[in-house]
Amino acid sequence: MNIEARTETSLNATIDILKAPEKGTRFEDYSAPLFVAWQINSECNLGCLHCCEEAGHSMPDEMNKEEAFRLLEQIVEAKIPYVAFSGGEPLLHPYFFEMCEYLRKDNVSLKVETNGEFIDGKTADRLAKLKFRSVQISLDGAKAATHEKLRLAGDWVKAVDACRLLIKKGVTTEVVFVPTKFNIHETGDLIDFANSLGVYGVYTGKIMRIGRAAKNWDILNPSDEEYEKFFAVLKEKIEKYKGKMKVYYYPYDVLEELKYRLECPSASVLIIPNGKVKLIGPLPFICGDLKKQNLAEVWHDYQKAWRNPEVIQFTKKVLADPNLLSQSNNWKEI
Amino acid sequence: MHFTEHVKIRNEKFGTVIFETLTEKIFITNETGGKILQLIDQGRDMPQIIDELQNSYEDNQKIGKDVTSFIDCLKQNDLIARR
Repeated sequence: MNIEARTETSLNATIDILKAPEKGTRFEDYSAPLFVAWQINSECNLGCLHCCEEAGHSMPDEMNKEEAFRLLEQIVEAKIPYVAFSGGEPLLHPYFFEMCEYLRKDNVSLKVETNGEFIDGKTADRLAKLKFRSVQISLDGAKAATHEKLRLAGDWVKAVDACRLLIKKGVTTEVVFVPTKFNIHETGDLIDFANSLGVYGVYTGKIMRIGRAAKNWDILNPSDEEYEKFFAVLKEKIEKYKGKMKVYYYPYDVLEELKYRLECPSASVLIIPNGKVKLIGPLPFICGDLKKQNLAEVWHDYQKAWRNPEVIQFTKKVLADPNLLSQSNNWKEI
Repeated sequence: MHFTEHVKIRNEKFGTVIFETLTEKIFITNETGGKILQLIDQGRDMPQIIDELQNSYEDNQKIGKDVTSFIDCLKQNDLIARR
């Protein structure tokens, strides 16, 4: 039963086959998603120039408590192993802790993506008790001025303090860094700084041309030369921190990701605050509504949607004309 | 032996999925692998697992070697640890 050489990527992850049958490498093989990315709210205290979700104010039709808990119940029943809560700013959600507690009591792995600005000592204690897979905090610069230039109304000191508090309480803490023209030169310093804080890992990758990032693309997108240096720095830091801190990056840009997903869709779903299910972040398509359908129906519709000629055609158009990525949040039901 | 903190197991029609959610690595195994995982989850040690499987499979000698090799793979990938 040795591990065979064959590997596949799915869900940003690696699949290794332990003397397995050929099945299990396609999303259709699965009875339910393996991962749920759930944007639980749209409210955010910041106005980041690169926000994929264009977060800020709440949506008028966000899921209410009953709807959200009905979904949580289905996640547990379907034995979905791994869930990520994001927003908006998820810590502003009125039932955030109750929702986390619900999943954790059934031992679902849970990751939270936050700007960290609402994590004080008391909140860090509550997060520590829940034993998250990780708490991911966005740090977009090694210096306050850089971080705050990109994250409008952001407070670098608060984000850094949140990292320190969480680490002190034993929470697996990751830093997320999005490279842009404003901050790409600080990549190495940011990684060194994250290591001095004691984080578990630093996660990065090319900026995604969706949402507000697409609208601000010309001022945000680093040049090829800047990216070349960025990846050289990453390579150096990966080596430097081997065995001490994870430095990892998502290898695809958004177009490469789309091209790949057209062939090999992920065994995951992306839920937005109003309970609708997006096919994938960069495309505008909505393939389900968890206020009206159950998760099993949505999983079925998600699989069908990836084979829909309209989706295939539009994706090919996007690949030919990346400007269409700016439509990613103009949702279109299919 | 026990599964490490972030390991989740799910049975599917085609086999069993092992998801290490911290590293986000997914492993897939067949029916026999799934049975071994189930026995690990029940707290059995290696000799008990081999013994159990020898009763169910014809090729008694090979199964001992296969179980050892499979469990080594799980250990190497930090999917299981000693209690």
